[in-house]
Amino acid sequence: MSADDDDDSLEQELGELLGRADPIPPTVLQAGRAALGWRRLDAELAELLADSVLGSDELALARGAEAPVRSVTFGTGERAIDLDVEERGAGRTLRGQLSPPAPVTVEVQRQDGTTLASVRADRFGRFVVELAGAGTIRLRLAGEPQLGTIETAWITV
Amino acid sequence: MTLAELLSQARDGDQLAWDAIVERFSGLLWATARAHRLSAAQAADVIQNTWLRLVENLDRIQDPDRLGAWLATTARRECLRTIRLGARELPTDEEWMWDVPSDDEIDSGLIERERDTALWRAFRVIGERCQALLRMIAAPDPPSYEEIGAALEMPIGAIGPTRARCLDKLRRNLALEGADLR
Repeated sequence: MSADDDDDSLEQELGELLGRADPIPPTVLQAGRAALGWRRLDAELAELLADSVLGSDELALARGAEAPVRSVTFGTGERAIDLDVEERGAGRTLRGQLSPPAPVTVEVQRQDGTTLASVRADRFGRFVVELAGAGTIRLRLAGEPQLGTIETAWITV
Repeated sequence: MTLAELLSQARDGDQLAWDAIVERFSGLLWATARAHRLSAAQAADVIQNTWLRLVENLDRIQDPDRLGAWLATTARRECLRTIRLGARELPTDEEWMWDVPSDDEIDSGLIERERDTALWRAFRVIGERCQALLRMIAAPDPPSYEEIGAALEMPIGAIGPTRARCLDKLRRNLALEGADLR
């Protein structure tokens, strides 16, 4: 038996062991299949452009773990949404700024289809949302004819 | 069906095409999350966020053949996010996977159970980097080197030599455990 064959059989054995000991939970596959239901039909995506947690600058990284406020930026071609996420115990305070500003309605949506909060941005495009807990959410901005409807990428806050 | 066809049908809302993509790459994503030493619950969240990211970007994937690498990169970033946000909650080594197989898990006789236990013990002490790499390489539907490189942020050229070195370590540890090399 060559060394390569040896390697292959040891890897295969390890793979079988890990497959038995640590299989993919069926719920993970189910949730993955269901994710297609979140296809955008009527809205424009505001992509996640920056996240201080993944910041490239060393200082931000060093601060990352303890920083009470995380800064996230979403953007479409024309608009940017800056969001500060502040941890307050189990809860989260989201402070947002849409620029250029528009007095839109901002909904915080959860993956189970519920809307956690709905607030109106002021004329400077600012809005504040208090969430009772952590979780994966996205924002849906609507209510301004020129703006159309914008949905942000999902983030876990 | 090719990945390009599956992606194009999923874009049109075809659930079966999407399911096929999920089934094909879930092993890669699970291995990526576990290679980052996330708990099962954290791994589930990371994988779900990765699929949501793909759904958001279905009409932007330029090169279907690189979908696996795109998913692995996305999952790695989600893993780093999770680790940095929840540094205090990282699982201990014991919680990472399992200690010894239980009787229910392995019913194929005592000898194989001993061998599994020895292999597991040997695997536990080869170091995090080697564990991560072998976790990826031993995943079901073995990922390509490009996908592994994306999942672990490792240069593709380093994977082959590191793999050989890690297997060597594993084999030596296994010998120390007194297990026969089959």
